[in-house]
Formats: sequence, structure tokens, C-alpha cells
Amino acid sequence: MRFFTKVSVATAIGLSLAGALEAQTSGTINARAVVRQPITITAGQDLDFGIVLQGSPRTIAETAAAAGRFDATGTANANVNVNFTLPANLVSGANNLPIGSWTGCYNQAAAVNASGCTTIANMSGTTATTFGNVAGNGRLWVFVGATVSPAAAQAVGTYTNTVTLTLTYF
Amino acid sequence: MPRPLPLAFAALVGSAAPCSAQLLVQGIRDLDFGPVIQGIATSVPPTDPIRSGQFYFRTPGLGTRIRIQFTLPTRLNGPAGARLPISFGANDAMARGTAPASAPAFFNPNGAVVYQMVTSPDANVWIGGRVTPAANQAVGSYTNTIVITVTIL
Repeated sequence: MRFFTKVSVATAIGLSLAGALEAQTSGTINARAVVRQPITITAGQDLDFGIVLQGSPRTIAETAAAAGRFDATGTANANVNVNFTLPANLVSGANNLPIGSWTGCYNQAAAVNASGCTTIANMSGTTATTFGNVAGNGRLWVFVGATVSPAAAQAVGTYTNTVTLTLTYF
Repeated sequence: MPRPLPLAFAALVGSAAPCSAQLLVQGIRDLDFGPVIQGIATSVPPTDPIRSGQFYFRTPGLGTRIRIQFTLPTRLNGPAGARLPISFGANDAMARGTAPASAPAFFNPNGAVVYQMVTSPDANVWIGGRVTPAANQAVGSYTNTIVITVTIL
């Protein structure tokens, strides 16, 4: 009688354990993050058309000395998206001076646009690139050019507006 | 104590589940915070269609009562032993049955919850969270494991 009881208990425990194992299951995923340095962008140089004449369009190429330049720092070799917010006009009081035909390029090694500057194909879209690695620091220089088209009766004066560069890690 | 949420999967109450049938649990998608900036905390909600983590589980049938419990990290592990704090808040988990009538149920992944499968025998569970990099957090990739355990009651 006593032996029978022991066997019964052992059997019952075995069945119970088997059932519990089958009724519990786990799944796994990872949590992931990539830590990056903050991106800083400073205005390296204004895009400066200088003196333009009524009725005479003027173009500053992105490779010209007078091109606009942004100086950016971030995490070396990190992927980054390049986007611009570009004005359609330069403004002088109530007067507008049309600006368009934007061009651009970026350099990951040095603040020069004469050579080694990669053309930005679509200035109104998103361009994917990476920060360069300059002595362990992530660097990126972005240059912009454009064309202003003053009318024959364009009001004389000084016209300005803002070009905004946005860099986003991805 | 697990918090019973009998209406979590709403409406249709079906027959009792056969306890001997298999329970399936799968990890579907990582919780991916993507690039985060030193010194700036970043959150991902469980409703984020790209960055939230996702699990799927299938129970033996309608009416099955189950308990969901996570094993959550408090740090993500990075380069050269660096650690990135990660935390989970009150509504950082969301469960929803696969039936069209199923409504999402939000819960705190830090504790266990109990559901009854009433509209479908299977469901997805999404999880979000928050990472808090220090201002001098080492740059690089960080990772750790999230485990979900589903138990038939």
C-alpha cells in the first residue's frame, strides 16, 4: 500500500511537470540603439552674388569661390541625410529677386569645393551620404550655388534670404 | 499579481482550449531606436510601425487564458563595456488579437498581465521603450535581449 502511494505520487508529479513545460513558451527579440554625437552646423560662408545688374541673370556655381558653405560635425563615418530648405526669392523690403537653379556639392575631407566635392544631384530632395573621418572627427562641408534673375525693372537694393541645411542621422 | 484583462481581445467568447495543444511564441521584429544623440533621451511607442519591437503568439484556441510576462533589460550593451540605460513605462506594451474586431490593449511590460483569447486564438504584442544616453555616452551600437514568456493558465 505504501509503495503504491509513492509510485502514484511520482507519476502525478511527472505528468504535472510535463504539462507545465508544454504550456509555457518564450520568444526573443533584441533592443538596439546606435549612439551618435550631436550634429553641429555652422555657416561657413554666405552665398554672395555681389553686384548684379537689372535684366542680367547671374550664376554662382557650387564650385565657385563665392559659393555658400556649411561646416558640419558629427560622428565619423555615420550615415546622414542631407536636405535643404531653399528660398524662391531674395527679399529687399517689399521687393523680390527670383533665385533658382540651385546646385550643390559636399566634401567629406576638407573645406574646399574645387576638387573632391561630390555633386548633389537633387537639391530639392534627400541626399544620403556619410560624415567623413578627419583625424577621428566626423566632418562634412556642404556648398551651394544658384542663379538670381533680376528683372529689367528690378528695384535696386540689397536682397537677402536664408538657405537652411538639415542633416539627419539614419 | 498578474492583472486579469478578460475583455482585452473583446467580443467573441469561444470554446475552451485543449490544454495539450502547442503554444507558439515568436519574436518578429527588434525594438530599434535607431540613431540616438548623446544627452538626448529617445522614446519609441509600441504603436511605432517601424521601430517598435514585435512578438507573435498562437494559443491552442479561443477561450484560452494566458499570462504574458517580459524579461526586460535595464541596460543595452555597447562598445568596450559601455552601457546605455533603457526603461519601459506604463503603456509601453500593446497586445492585439489578429481578428479584425480585436482592440489593442496597452499594458505595463514591467509586470505580468493575464488575457483570455476571445476574438482570435493568436495575437501580436508590440513593445516600446526609452533609452537615455548620457552627454558623454560612448558612440557606437548597443544591444540587449527582450524575452516574452507566454503561459497557458
